[in-house]
This record gives sequence, structure tokens and C-alpha cells, in this order.
Amino acid sequence: MKRILAAFLLFLGLAGCAGRQASYTTDFFAMDTFMSVSVYGSDKNSAQEAAVACEQEVNALEPALSRTREDSDLYRLNHAGGAVCEVSEDTYAAIEAAVQYAELTGGAFDPTMAPLTDLWGINTENAHVPAQAEIDEALTHVGYQNIQLLGNNQVQLLNGAQIDLGGIGKGYATDTVFALLAQQPEGAATGALVQLGGNIGAFGENPSRDSGSWVVGVADPDDNAEFLATAEVRDASVVTSGDYERYFEQDGKRYHHIFDPKTGYPADTGLRSVTVIDQNSTRADALTTALFVMGLDDGMRFCAENNIAAVFITSDKQIYTTDAVASVCTYTFLGEEKGYTDAQ
Amino acid sequence: MRSRLKWGDAVIIAVVLVLAAALTAAFGAGTQGDRLYAEVWQDNQLVERVALNDGTDRTIDLDGHNVIVLSGKSARMASADCRDQVCVRTGTLTRAGQFAVCLPNRVVLKIVGESGEIDAIVS
Amino acid sequence: MKAKRLTVCGMLTALAVVLSLVERLFPLDAVVPVPGVKLGLANVVTLFALTRLSARDALAVLLCRVALSSLLMGSVTAFLFSLFGGLLSLAVMWLLLRVEGRFCSLLGVSVAGAAAHNIGQIIAAVIWMQTGAVVAYLPFLLVMSVPLGLVTGLTCSIVLSHMQKIDFNV
Repeated sequence: MKRILAAFLLFLGLAGCAGRQASYTTDFFAMDTFMSVSVYGSDKNSAQEAAVACEQEVNALEPALSRTREDSDLYRLNHAGGAVCEVSEDTYAAIEAAVQYAELTGGAFDPTMAPLTDLWGINTENAHVPAQAEIDEALTHVGYQNIQLLGNNQVQLLNGAQIDLGGIGKGYATDTVFALLAQQPEGAATGALVQLGGNIGAFGENPSRDSGSWVVGVADPDDNAEFLATAEVRDASVVTSGDYERYFEQDGKRYHHIFDPKTGYPADTGLRSVTVIDQNSTRADALTTALFVMGLDDGMRFCAENNIAAVFITSDKQIYTTDAVASVCTYTFLGEEKGYTDAQ
Repeated sequence: MRSRLKWGDAVIIAVVLVLAAALTAAFGAGTQGDRLYAEVWQDNQLVERVALNDGTDRTIDLDGHNVIVLSGKSARMASADCRDQVCVRTGTLTRAGQFAVCLPNRVVLKIVGESGEIDAIVS
Repeated sequence: MKAKRLTVCGMLTALAVVLSLVERLFPLDAVVPVPGVKLGLANVVTLFALTRLSARDALAVLLCRVALSSLLMGSVTAFLFSLFGGLLSLAVMWLLLRVEGRFCSLLGVSVAGAAAHNIGQIIAAVIWMQTGAVVAYLPFLLVMSVPLGLVTGLTCSIVLSHMQKIDFNV
């Protein structure tokens, strides 16, 4: 009997280390936003390790992508007065990606909008509509062509341009986190839900659903806690840009934070939000902004040409989806009750 | 044969069935396996964790900076003294996985529980 | 005498492990989506051990069975559920066997044991998953335990009477 008990206790100890499904969630503030990473794995310890590693990775990335921190590469580059600067590998890679998407979208997404957004002061105490002359002046510095990528992590900015990676930063961080999750030991991170601000990353398998996929709701622009459609995704990122995220009102008119690089004003294209579903979160992040600026017609055409999965919500309560949506996720329209129409 | 039924067997079976019925009555109505909790976090510290049910009616005041109202199976940031008011505009949270964030005050209101129809909302 | 008892215990353990494996053929997951919850067929072995051997032997067989079948199926939840279910079932049946013959028959004991097995499993699930929501599945399991308990009780009673006929003693 004693021996049986001893063997039994030994087994208990062994069993404690054996496989099971566990999860760990870490919430934190970084990159001026709220982030939440939930990792699902075979046991709680490795899930926790993976989640904490993700948090550390994002925190480590922050100085490489920030332009406000005075110790950051971008701050140095933006204040170098046009001199050649050497930046970190991550900063260089992110700038490279930003320029790539600026070229792809014909400048609808532009990482050099900093002088303009500073002028408008969105999300600061002195948010206001600037004088036209000020806008025109700021626009002379805007243009991704002013970024000279010289290789070997050397960057030069022409025409007093300043880089702001806010438009792809969270996407870039999501991709980095995905890469980190993929490197985890076997079974440590079989699935993860990565929410960096508004960027959602659905990694691997969702253990709480039979399908194994993650159901992401596309927010109602008028009530962000509700959704108008769902996308069931796996190993993909879902990103939305909307006019409701950051804005201010002046003389009864609403001014949001997505600027048209051509006019220097908030893009006024009759869209409320654009959602992009893509394996590459950096790409999705840049494209939501670009498509919002392009507007519905140009945006839909662009998506068709480049096989991009996007959901457009217009101010006259129509929801348009591109053909590629069906190939990357299971899309369900749910906006009927709230007065929306599914306009294919 | 030790299987000749006695009156006690009927009593045992009845007790088991009555227990099953009682549990069905207690659990069958409200919970389709969806117990929800509202969590209030401030500076990465859990301040409150409240189970949400039909009778929940509570107001949590974080020193006047943020006021959180829990009502029935829902939670919302009723007011905040911050500039952007993003958390207040987020609206009423009713599903696990939703959150309202007040960045300036580093306050997070989130709903946790068994995942329902969605895992996250992109906005 | 001691060797004989040990052999019988070993055989019973083997039988119980086989029954645990057979249980997996029943797709209980479809109704009760808690991985690891089982019908409790192996209870028949516990009941037999309690009637023919001693509570101590029954406990030993139970612990060995739980450990072995969990090793074979390799899930900690299954292990915990079987352990809690098995122990509670054993305790209840051991108590009821003292009034068996006067108050109730072996069938009643078996039904109570099956019900206790399911209650134990759900208690383990509540502790493990840290949610009371799984209790919602208990009524179904309790109702199931009535026919299951009757079958296992009848099986045990038939085996016992056959053993009496051939004058087999442990």
C-alpha cells in the first residue's frame, strides 16, 4: 500500500508537468495605447513566458518607432537638419516598409505627415483648424520621396521632412510579436490574440472555438462597443482606421486624424472606417489609412488590382467588401438591425 | 441475487433525479455557460473585479477621475476627466473581450468571461 | 493468501483500465463539452472490490487505475476528473454498502456511486477551470448515472452470484 501511494504521488508530480491547455493574458500600456496579449499554450508557465516575452518585445520596439521620445532614432533623424543619420535595424526596416507602402498606394499613405499633424494638434489641448497658409507651408515638407534610404541603416531626410511611423508602428509591432510567437518552443504558444491598440492579431489556433479560428468584430463607427460584421480569421491581422478614433470639433464640424496628404485636411471621402484583413499587419495598418484617404471608389479599385481584403463602411450606412475578403476569412454581415446595408 | 430491488433503491434514484432537476432549475435559466465579470484596472493594477448578473447595480468612482457604472450584465465608463473622452465614447460593454480604455488616466475597464460570439472588436 | 489477493487486485486494475479505454468510445464530449469527463464504467470494478475485497484494496485498485489510464490517455484533466470522481464514488458506495440488503440493493449502491462519480468530476472541473459554469452539465450527467448505475450494479450482482455458484473466494 505504501509503495502504491509513493508511486501514485510520483505520478501526480509527473502529471503536473504534462500537457494541457492553458492561457495567460498580459495587459500593458505602450506606444501611447493600450495593449493586451493573450497566449494559449500547453501549460500556464510557458504561455506566461511567451506573453511576457511579447510585452518586452513591444516595449523594446517602442524607442525604435517613436518620434516623440527625445532619445529615439526618429527624433534624432527628424532633427538632424537633413544630415545622414544611422538608425537601428528596426527603425530602418520600419521606414523601408513605410516607404514601400507609400509607393504602393501612390502616396495615399505617407509616413512624412508629421509637420501637418503637429500643425493641427489633433489629440492635444490646442487642436484647431490651421490657416490655409500654414497648411500650405507644412505640405511643402510632406512627401515620402523626401526619404532617402541609403542602405546600411543610413537615412537622409530632404526638404525638412519628418518621419512619423504612427501609421504602421502597431502593425510592425504585431508582425514582430507574431515572429516571436512562432519561435516559441513547441506547444508553448499554440494560439494567441494580440491586441495592440486597434490592431488585432490572431495567431494560430483558438482553443475555445471548435473551428480553431478567432472571431473579430468590425466596430460600429457610432458605437465602438458594438459591431456591424464579423471576420473569422486565423494567422492574420485585422486593422481598422476610422474617423471616430481621434477627432476634435470646431464650429460644429468634426475634424478627424486621417489626413489627405494632397489637401492637408482630414480626408473627406464619405467613409466612416476601413478595415483590412491581411497576413502582414504592417501592410494592413498602412493600407487602412491609404484606403480611407482614397475613398470608396478608388479604394475598391485599388483592392481589386492588388488583391486586398478590405471592408468599407460609408457614412450613408453601406458596407462594401472586396472580393479578396472571402478568401482570407469567413465574413458575416450583421449590421441590418443598425440600419446598414450589405452593398456588395 | 443482490439485485432484488428494495425501497431504498427508489429513494436513491429519486434523490439523484431531484438533484438533477434542482440544478437544472438553478442553472438552466440564466447561465448558458456565460459568466461575465467586469474588471477595472488602474496603472496595471486590478482595482475591482465584479461579477455581472441581472441584478448588478454599482458605481465605481476612481477619485473623481473616472466613473464606471455597472448595470445588469453591462459596464460603461460613465465619465472621465480626461481630454479625449475616448473611453466614454466607447459606449456600453456587454461581451467578454470588450474594453474601454482611458489612456490619459491609465484606466482600463474590461469584460472577461467565457468567450461569446466574438473574441475581439477592431476599431 | 496475500499473493492471491494481490493477483486479484492486479487483474481488477487491468480490467478497470480496459473499461476506462472502452469508455472513450462513447462520444460524451458532444453533450458535455468538458474534455476529460467520463461515464464511469470502471465503477463496476470499484463496486466489486468493495463487496469482495476490502475498502483498502478497492482504493488501491482505484488509484492504480486512475494513474494508469491517465498515463495511457495522457491528459491531466482526465486524471483529475477520474481521481475526484473515483474517490467520491468509492466513499459513497462504501457507506451505502453498510446498509445494503436492509435499506437498498446493490443496484441502489451502484446508482449512488455513479452519481457521486459525476459530482466528483464536476467538482474537479470547477476547481480546475475556475468557473462554476460547468455545473450546468451536472444535471445531464446525473440523469445518465441512473441507467448506467443500474447496468453496472446488475453486472456486479450477476458476477457475484456466479462466483457464489462456483464457490470462488478471494
